[in-house]
Amino acid sequence: MSYSITEPSNRQKWFAGILVVGYALLTLLPLAWIIATGFKTPADAIAYPPKVIFSPSLEGYVNLFTSRSRVTPEDLAALGPPTTWYDAIVRQYDMVINGPSRYGERFMNSVIIGFGSTFLSVFLGTIAAYAFSRFKVPLKDDLLFFILSTRMMPPIAVAIPIFLMYRQLGLSDTHLGMILLYTAVNLSLSVWLLKGFIDEIPIEYEEAALIDGYTRFQAFYKVVLPQAATGIASTAIFCLIFSWNEYAFAVLLTSGTAQTAPPFIPTIIGSGGKDWPAVAAGATLFLLPIMIFTILLRKHLLRGITFGAVRK
Amino acid sequence: MSLNLAQRVASATPPKLARRIRGVSDRTIAWLFVTPTILLLLAVNIFPLIWTIRLSLTNFRTNRPNNPVEFVGLENYRKILTNPDTWASLQATAHFLIWTIVLQVVLGFSLAYLINKKFRGNDLWTTLIVLPMMLSPAVVGNFWTFLYQPQIGLFNYFIEFFSGVDPASFSMIGDVSLAPWTIVLVDTWMWTPFVMLICLAGLRSIPPSIYEAAECDRASKWRQFWTITLPMALPFLMLAVLFRGIENFKMFDLVVQLTGGGPGATTLLTSIDLKREAFEKWRTGFASAYAVILFVTVFGLASIYVKALNKVKDR
Amino acid sequence: MNDFINGLLRLRRGPWEMVATVLIALGVVMLMQPIALVLFTYSFLVTLIGTVMFIVVSHFPE
Repeated sequence: MSYSITEPSNRQKWFAGILVVGYALLTLLPLAWIIATGFKTPADAIAYPPKVIFSPSLEGYVNLFTSRSRVTPEDLAALGPPTTWYDAIVRQYDMVINGPSRYGERFMNSVIIGFGSTFLSVFLGTIAAYAFSRFKVPLKDDLLFFILSTRMMPPIAVAIPIFLMYRQLGLSDTHLGMILLYTAVNLSLSVWLLKGFIDEIPIEYEEAALIDGYTRFQAFYKVVLPQAATGIASTAIFCLIFSWNEYAFAVLLTSGTAQTAPPFIPTIIGSGGKDWPAVAAGATLFLLPIMIFTILLRKHLLRGITFGAVRK
Repeated sequence: MSLNLAQRVASATPPKLARRIRGVSDRTIAWLFVTPTILLLLAVNIFPLIWTIRLSLTNFRTNRPNNPVEFVGLENYRKILTNPDTWASLQATAHFLIWTIVLQVVLGFSLAYLINKKFRGNDLWTTLIVLPMMLSPAVVGNFWTFLYQPQIGLFNYFIEFFSGVDPASFSMIGDVSLAPWTIVLVDTWMWTPFVMLICLAGLRSIPPSIYEAAECDRASKWRQFWTITLPMALPFLMLAVLFRGIENFKMFDLVVQLTGGGPGATTLLTSIDLKREAFEKWRTGFASAYAVILFVTVFGLASIYVKALNKVKDR
Repeated sequence: MNDFINGLLRLRRGPWEMVATVLIALGVVMLMQPIALVLFTYSFLVTLIGTVMFIVVSHFPE
């Protein structure tokens, strides 16, 4: 039996476990509250003391996806009985549904821009990382530092010239403009992470392939790419999370067609002040995919978060 | 016949060209692979940077494109660096920076230390703790304003529950003396996991044999902590501090949603101040000079960060 | 200490990077300190010198 004298005692483990679980529960409370608020009625959401037990309602989600207007009770009566369940919810408040809200579009923008920029930055990042890892590139260290430093730049400072430049080029408030911008920001992370992953693939594999008559290109995509697949996937997740969450560029450079969800969700308002259940519903739908990704991919998290400083 | 022709071509082709036909040379591939990245970064980072520097020497205003643009030399820099309001905004940033770093390092290191005791299920709980930092700061920050509502907020309810203070009597966001702490609190909630993860990596990089040797020498646990654990984890801690320092120096999304810089200018961090100058007052020349100052500061800090990063990587 | 000065004189990377790091840190502190406006005014100059110095000296031999 391998028992180490440095192994913590059971009492220590219990003590540590209780403290960590306590912190985790406390820190998860705001997130649980977002999800719960999304299923409350507006009255329940602003009840005091805060309601932990409540009868769930889909009002928040209905309000999130529809735009509504108030009608007089007579007009409402003239409309006849509601045809759908969401009609019924809305009519309790003397309202009728005019059409869909902007949330769906904004969410789709986030998806298009997120996946577009992720694909581009991972593609460009992979080939650049391969070159940096395997070839003698002049001024390699300077280029790598330059690439990293672009990530650190304050977005608002970068946004001033980008704003002017995009206006000249007709790229402001377009999907393409945002995809290019996020690709540039993500490239630094993807080059650095992927270089770390490719560095770890033994160079002998490629040499063997080259001797077998493969060209460099073939060796790259038949030998290196499959080996780096996990690394590429986890890099992609990180790029996606960044684009998904980004706010500063989005709020300054988009206003309509290409606006993503983060600048949109805080602007959701109801008829009398802020409609918190709708905001919470919007936030839930937007945050939940990332929460699930995080839990599923926890093994690969560390490296991406620390810019490749930490190995497995 | 055809074989003959192929032989003739082969013998007539110089070796260098032959290699190019078989496959592109390594040198070409290197350039082919690196160039798109460099070009994109030049277009989206360096070109705008040069433009910013040029603008910072003029009195250009985006909302008045027809005004004559005059070269004003270093006048914008002089204005910023002697402006008490800008100075105040940097002090607000300093308050935010120092307290978030202190709290996150203390909390993050403690958590990492506890998680490293390897109790059952520790990796699941680590993942759950990490959740807040993976989410959109703007969306989450916006929701925190709901938790901070004086009459109805969950946060105020907790304060009432534990201290009996009337929940309607204080507003974490509207009060001049509370607001700077409010942003510290939410940032700590969000980013403590980051410091924790880096510290955890640091603690796990310490080989157990060192502790075994210390046990043999009958060094106390307390002594082991100060002579082994802390010094060995220190480079990682430095990395976390620098990274959080840079990130919070340019903090925008979370705080702009939480307080919007208010009340007054108590939480007007530099990025929010810069945003107002550039995109609300449209003093583009002035704001560009401001941006250049932030650029240079972040660039300087980034070089120190990379140095620290390489130190950790070399281990 | 002697090694440090020696390194400076022989244009070695390590000690010069240290000087540049200290300058950058000093500039950042001057930028954000609440004590004197004049320190704030000259902070940018110090950071700029430190940063440029860092870029230059990182090309010195080890």
